[in-house]
Amino acid sequence: MKKNYAMTLLFLLGFLASIPLYAQQTIKGKVTSQEDGMPLPGVSIVVQGSSKGTVSDLDGNYSISVPGSESVLVYSFIGYETQRKIAGNTTEINIQLAEDVSQLGEVVVTALGITRDERSIGYATQEVKGENLTYTKEQNVLGSLSGKIAGVQVTGSSGASMGGTQKIKIRGVNSISGGGEPLMVVDGTPISNSNFSGSSGQDYGNLGQDINPEDIETINVLKGPAASALYGIRGQYGVIMITTKKGKKGSDVKVELNSAVFVDNVSNLMPYQNLYGGGSSQTWRTLPNGDKYVDMSVDESWGPKTDGTLVRQVMSFYPQDPTYGQLTPFVAYPDNIKDYYETGTNVNNGVTITGGGASSNFRVSLNDTRIQGVEPNTSLKRNNVGVSLGVDLTKKLRLSTNVNYAANQGRRPGQGSEDGSRYLGQWFQRSMDMKRLKDYKYDDGTFLNWNLRRPSTSTGEVTNFNPLYWANPYFLANENFSDDNRDRFFGDVGLSYQISSELKVSAFVRSDMYTQNINSRASFGGTGNPGYSVGKYQNTEMNYELLAQYNKVWNKFSLDANVGGNIYDRDYSYLSMATVGGLSSPGFYNINASIDRPVTSSYQQNKQIKSAYAMVSLGYNNTYFLDASLRNDNSSTLPVDNNSYWYPSLSTSVVFSEWIKSDVMTLGKLRLSYAQAGSDLSPYSTTSFFNVGSTYTGSSTVNTLSVPDNLNNPNIKPSFAHSYEAGVDFKFYEGRVGLSFTYYNQRNENQILNLDISGTSGYGSATINAGEIVNRGLEIALTATPFRSDNFNWDMSFNISRNRNEVVELYPGIDVYQYGSTTYSSTSSYLNSYVGKPFGSLVGQAYQRDEATGKILLGSNNLPLYTDATHDFGTVLPDFNGGFQNVLNYKNFQLAAMIDFQAGGQFFSRSKMLAVRTGLDPLSAAINDKGMNVRDPLADGGGVKVEGISAETGEDVTAYVDAKAYYGVVARRIYEDWLYDASYIRLREVSLSYNFNKSQFANLPVENVKVALVGRNLGMLFQNAPKGINPAELSTGSQAIGWYESGQLPSVRSFGFNLNVTF
Amino acid sequence: MQKLNILIVTALLLVGCNNFDEDININPNVPSQASGTQLIANAMLSLSGLSSSPQGEFMSQYLSETQYVNASLYPQSSTSFYWLYQGPLMNLQTVLNSADKLSGTEGPVANQLAVAKILKAYYVWHATDRWGDVPMSDALRGADNFTPKYDTQESIYTSLFTLLDEASSAIVPGSVSNDIIYNGDMTKWSKLANTLKMLMALRLSEVNPNLGKEKFAAAVQAGVMTSNSGNLIFKHLADANNQNYWFSQLNQGREWWAISSTLMDKMKPVGDPRLMVYGNANRTDGEYTGLVFGETVNIDTEKYALLGDAITAQDAPVYLVTYAQVLFAQAEAAKLGWIAGGDATAEEKYNMAISASMNQWGADTSELDEFMMQPEIAYNPAKAIEQIATQRWVHLFMHGYEGWAEYRRTGYPNNMVAPGGAEVPKRQIYIETEQFNNTANYNEAVQRQFGGSESLYGNVWWDVN
Repeated sequence: MKKNYAMTLLFLLGFLASIPLYAQQTIKGKVTSQEDGMPLPGVSIVVQGSSKGTVSDLDGNYSISVPGSESVLVYSFIGYETQRKIAGNTTEINIQLAEDVSQLGEVVVTALGITRDERSIGYATQEVKGENLTYTKEQNVLGSLSGKIAGVQVTGSSGASMGGTQKIKIRGVNSISGGGEPLMVVDGTPISNSNFSGSSGQDYGNLGQDINPEDIETINVLKGPAASALYGIRGQYGVIMITTKKGKKGSDVKVELNSAVFVDNVSNLMPYQNLYGGGSSQTWRTLPNGDKYVDMSVDESWGPKTDGTLVRQVMSFYPQDPTYGQLTPFVAYPDNIKDYYETGTNVNNGVTITGGGASSNFRVSLNDTRIQGVEPNTSLKRNNVGVSLGVDLTKKLRLSTNVNYAANQGRRPGQGSEDGSRYLGQWFQRSMDMKRLKDYKYDDGTFLNWNLRRPSTSTGEVTNFNPLYWANPYFLANENFSDDNRDRFFGDVGLSYQISSELKVSAFVRSDMYTQNINSRASFGGTGNPGYSVGKYQNTEMNYELLAQYNKVWNKFSLDANVGGNIYDRDYSYLSMATVGGLSSPGFYNINASIDRPVTSSYQQNKQIKSAYAMVSLGYNNTYFLDASLRNDNSSTLPVDNNSYWYPSLSTSVVFSEWIKSDVMTLGKLRLSYAQAGSDLSPYSTTSFFNVGSTYTGSSTVNTLSVPDNLNNPNIKPSFAHSYEAGVDFKFYEGRVGLSFTYYNQRNENQILNLDISGTSGYGSATINAGEIVNRGLEIALTATPFRSDNFNWDMSFNISRNRNEVVELYPGIDVYQYGSTTYSSTSSYLNSYVGKPFGSLVGQAYQRDEATGKILLGSNNLPLYTDATHDFGTVLPDFNGGFQNVLNYKNFQLAAMIDFQAGGQFFSRSKMLAVRTGLDPLSAAINDKGMNVRDPLADGGGVKVEGISAETGEDVTAYVDAKAYYGVVARRIYEDWLYDASYIRLREVSLSYNFNKSQFANLPVENVKVALVGRNLGMLFQNAPKGINPAELSTGSQAIGWYESGQLPSVRSFGFNLNVTF
Repeated sequence: MQKLNILIVTALLLVGCNNFDEDININPNVPSQASGTQLIANAMLSLSGLSSSPQGEFMSQYLSETQYVNASLYPQSSTSFYWLYQGPLMNLQTVLNSADKLSGTEGPVANQLAVAKILKAYYVWHATDRWGDVPMSDALRGADNFTPKYDTQESIYTSLFTLLDEASSAIVPGSVSNDIIYNGDMTKWSKLANTLKMLMALRLSEVNPNLGKEKFAAAVQAGVMTSNSGNLIFKHLADANNQNYWFSQLNQGREWWAISSTLMDKMKPVGDPRLMVYGNANRTDGEYTGLVFGETVNIDTEKYALLGDAITAQDAPVYLVTYAQVLFAQAEAAKLGWIAGGDATAEEKYNMAISASMNQWGADTSELDEFMMQPEIAYNPAKAIEQIATQRWVHLFMHGYEGWAEYRRTGYPNNMVAPGGAEVPKRQIYIETEQFNNTANYNEAVQRQFGGSESLYGNVWWDVN
């Protein structure tokens, strides 16, 4: 291996050294940019019809010998319009090249930040402009990618989470373990996109959101190994390349102000029934004195009719309450859950200053975001500072730096069925007045709770005011909150030296560092012990990088060669502590307040990767291109004697429109590629160790140790992805219509899995190389300008992708990989992957059915029978994903709308299941086919109609069953009924903006003013899932796959006003 | 070009090596070596888990569920045994596998190994009595075997007798450190080993009385527990890190368990003083009222005797193998003729057993003689087996799985109910993931024992009627 590596590079060196340099003099000149007059280096100058050519140097100067005055010189440069000049008799030709507007997007940013002509690229690329991401001010900018790039699936989270997790999957699930998020790279600096959330609780979101959306110039997604092979062991799951805005040399100082104010409201709440109130039976409970009372020990709504009967409600048992001892009417509060939510606000202010001198350029940006959430006592404050500088120290030596700082301070709502106020839609009384609960504390400090033990059967008084199952939601919001903050720096310092017009060498130091703090408190007066926990998590990732770039054009050939190396060094550590056994005094939130020995842990981790890489791109006649790249990675996390691996790629593109001259087809390109990329594993997974167990402090202190549940593997290898891709790109009518097709096949083998094994082996899982998962798919992207005139422009883009996934192989003797499980009321469901099926089958309890007829089997009590939790309901992966964007410009007005959609996929909704089980959902109080409520007595024609076959007799049965008993089985044991199609069409963004003419404020020192009205997350145009459940916001914290919904935060709709002023 | 070559060569030198610091992949956050007694101590921490579970209490019908009654209606759902293997058993096996590396500074290595073997035998015995055939000979081998075969219960009993004999015969003078259970007292460990063997032998009374009798006599001969001070008890602490399961439940406001009518009917009519320990009087009228096991409608916890304060204290102990059990076993063995003495010995041991139980539970024994003279309680040769079994069941309160095993063997108490028509189960169902992770061996075990499909109602080997 070692030898090959050296040989390849030697070959490359020889190749570079052997390129002859042509230089004879006849015509000299200087090439500059028409835009800003700056010299353009690297412009290709060719004598048409001959093999002679040269490129301009650093100062734009060139010199070329020509055979005669008839000769035509062709000046071409990526991104600029090609010019032709007859040599004539002059000895000096100075040329100004104009930017080629029709070719916008033809220069693309590829791996390692190398910009390339789109023609030469042998794989699919798609770019999103920054302005497409910023105008809706989404808190987590990655969410704005949804629907904008073919093959990229974004699963979001509710706006109520304020920057909650946005999961990105590129071209399907490429890891049997479900993980595999793309690498994020900002201006060449890899940044962490990790996540501190669990699958419930606060959703702190993925860390990639620390980039200021206002700073983004473009986002390029490298969708698979063909594009990302140069990232080697980090490139298996694709790369999101972000390029930030920069100042331009020689431009005036420009100041841009941006202010936006948004108003957020919950939308799409679940429907609730309002005919019956709290309780478990329609029979009233009575106090010793005969007064009826609402059963406050029940967190369900199977109680009596909300008919205004005078009763003692829970508040009336508090001696401190003004209604103490009083009877009040028992009525429903249809909006009680809606009443809990507040109107949120999002205020965003930003300033950017850009400019440049003769040999320098700069850009400085400041941004301040303040969000008040829709859940009480939730907020997020974020500040961003960005500085980018470039200075030409000499003509050849350039110093550049990008520094980004982000500070976040959050207090976020919990999510998940048991967390914070999320129980309201699942375990609650329809007869509870939320407005009464808001004032959750009496003057004497007693907390008002709605869910208590019943009053004494002898005295009729409540003696225990501690909450039974659920605390007052306002208590939870205001006393049991969690605070998080994060300081983040990332950026780079680089030096580049232009040795000659063809050769440039650059060196970078890149860094990404953050400190994340999370503190959580549980107050006295809640359902559990009071407690406090703190966590401090620190991460520093350094990348040291060296890159030599060589560009050369001669005759009809072009060469683009890059050789480089990288050292990656990551240090991660944390300290976390939590009190045990309660707190010593109310209001004292500190680890020192722990009653018993607190739980503490300190952790540190170091990882290094050493890499070398080379890439060569050869072009002929601007028509045929061949790319090859090779990367070698040595990862410290792999076994010491076997940690070096190679990742090659090969791609080709053929611009066939060069053969077929056509007025209609401006560009036609065919591309093919093959590549390998990989991924390694976390540190310390190859050696064995012991866990520190709990300490037993009896007569003496005994410290314990235990064998971990996962078996590490000293022989692990990296996982490899093999990807084939073929595609064709068209541009018609001067680029007014663009169409792109891509087919890909990515085979991921030797997966690194923590495979669940039989626990009887002594381990619950083992780290192994095994398995193979394949994704095949088709991506179509269409851009068009259906209408273009002086006053009116209509641009649209549409993309759709289809992905097919199969788990080809697991481990010998093991047929299933369990991604996750969720258990409630002793009923579990799983997300499993089976050999021969797509990733991610939802597995759970189904109806038992008669094999012949498919009818439901009923037990002796006419209740449906159910299978054990092994029924495979099929994959959760969608069939299609895509988006549709329209931009209409009329004079100074612009109307833009964005729709994203998904077809297929499915998920399990625990919120819906519980709402039915607990009598909150209208289904639990529906009218049956006899016109009676299902809750009415069976004798009166009530009950849920059940049709099926008796399991005992085999005879058809039609019967009516008590609603509570029926849903006690169906909405608790039979998950089949609570699975929903995840298809949707969502109106994600609409904005209407107006751009003032400069003439309209001629007297003011203002360059440009733009105002916009913006709506974000406006609603679903279509969904199959029931109202109140959002299939596009299935993120459950850091879980890599969204497959069930449990206490999902409500969707949030935002409207806002955006003002942008440039001076 | 020269410059370029130099630069590239430099780049190669920078990155072209795959050498890292030697210890870069050694986890600095956890130990890579473990002391034998610390692993054993961790295995001891799991002992309370053999008893502290509502499911066990439902199997023996000690407690009735007040809140989520369905859980007590014997649903046909699986129960995992993985925690036993991944937890205590793997820790113990690691000690047994590294015999040559154990440190004598923590007590004689022979004794460390003996304690590990005794605990291993106890955990495996517990597992096989609950599920039937379980993996043993192939189990706990990590990377060497991801799919262990299931051993028959018969062969497991044979292996465990051998394991216990090995353990007790290897014990040498000298105590071991980090012993949460007996504080290093090897005499107590030796007696525990013999007691386990004796109780296991009694389990064979129906399926193989000859073998049972032989092993029983050998165990008694070798020396079993002689007082409550030798009991295998897990002592919880008044410390949330090592607290009683039932305390943590009650502490969350979960008054989900009441004394069952099944138990109440065996205690209240005879004025059993242990009742005041087992339960609290109801809050409505101060009476001891049992809740019918499996009752589903409208349960008002105010009206029933909930778990007693002594049971739900934060540091309440868990009784696992006790002197009273030894005496009940000897009484039964005498009655069966396995040991000498006949009814006289049986009566003597029976009376001693009840007395030991009263002392263990801290019951008020001031009127013990009167209690013992009642016709239902006083030893009666005509129904001695029933009396012994019933009193043993009362004694085994809160150790549901053991009470259930003895019920399956003896058929007593005679008042167990079948909630919703569901009889008391005969075993527990294997964890479902075995069907996927260990398919062939799972199928073979189910085929061998139950003819292809398993449920709660397949008999384990020793449960022949």
